[in-house]
Amino acid sequence: PLPPLLAKPIAKSSRASQRKTSEPRVARSLIKKIFSHYVKMPVTRDAFSIVETCSERYFKQLSNDLEAYTNHAKRKTVEMADLEVLMRRQRLVTDKMPLHVLIERYLPLEYRKLLIPVAVRGNKVIPCK
Amino acid sequence: MAAARPRPAPRGGETHKRLKAAVHYTVGCLCQDVAEDKDLQFSKQTIAALSEITFRQCENFAKDLEMFARHAKRSTITTEDVKLLARRSNSLLRYITQKSDEITSSSVEQKEKKKKKSSAAKGRRNSEEQKQLKMTESEDSNMA
Repeated sequence: PLPPLLAKPIAKSSRASQRKTSEPRVARSLIKKIFSHYVKMPVTRDAFSIVETCSERYFKQLSNDLEAYTNHAKRKTVEMADLEVLMRRQRLVTDKMPLHVLIERYLPLEYRKLLIPVAVRGNKVIPCK
Repeated sequence: MAAARPRPAPRGGETHKRLKAAVHYTVGCLCQDVAEDKDLQFSKQTIAALSEITFRQCENFAKDLEMFARHAKRSTITTEDVKLLARRSNSLLRYITQKSDEITSSSVEQKEKKKKKSSAAKGRRNSEEQKQLKMTESEDSNMA
């Protein structure tokens, strides 16, 4: 006798579709890693979930602000200047703490190379503009 | 990027003291109004603290407005920059927009008045011009 036909698992397909429709997020593990790196103190699970919600809201606020600053400069593309205005407004960038210093302090080398032109041997400047 | 511009002497200058005194006086007057309205007392230290807060907040506002104007590649601060400064709080933004609309409408009215005055002054010239225009039109029609 033939084995009874297994019902097709619908759950998987629905889950996949849900995953597609869900809005993009910063990975939970990444947030956790960064937060615990700077806290240097044990943090409960609930606190981490709150931090995650905060970072979501932060990105929403960030996009709104960037949109406003880009429109203010009568552009439709967000540029480096808009980000610098944003960080000045957040008092992260000041006269004593320029953006380049922040980049050098907090970003890994490969990203720093993309943002800050570096002179290398053979009369070259990376990135080439 | 950050060009070192000559700023007015920030600390201890004579103008600085005078500005602070002016702010302090104005804050004192405003506090008096509030005290009469709400029936409460302001201590001198409170008024001094409020005036200090106001002064430093003005410094922040000045720097931010300068930055916004420069961001829009302007060297003059406009109402748009002020709106961008007040964008964070909805009620404040509404108030500022309302005020700026009032100011623009009043300025438009003033301009219209000026235009009326100037048109009254230029009435003779305009009528002469119109005559000339009519003449040229008639000439054109004759030509056609």
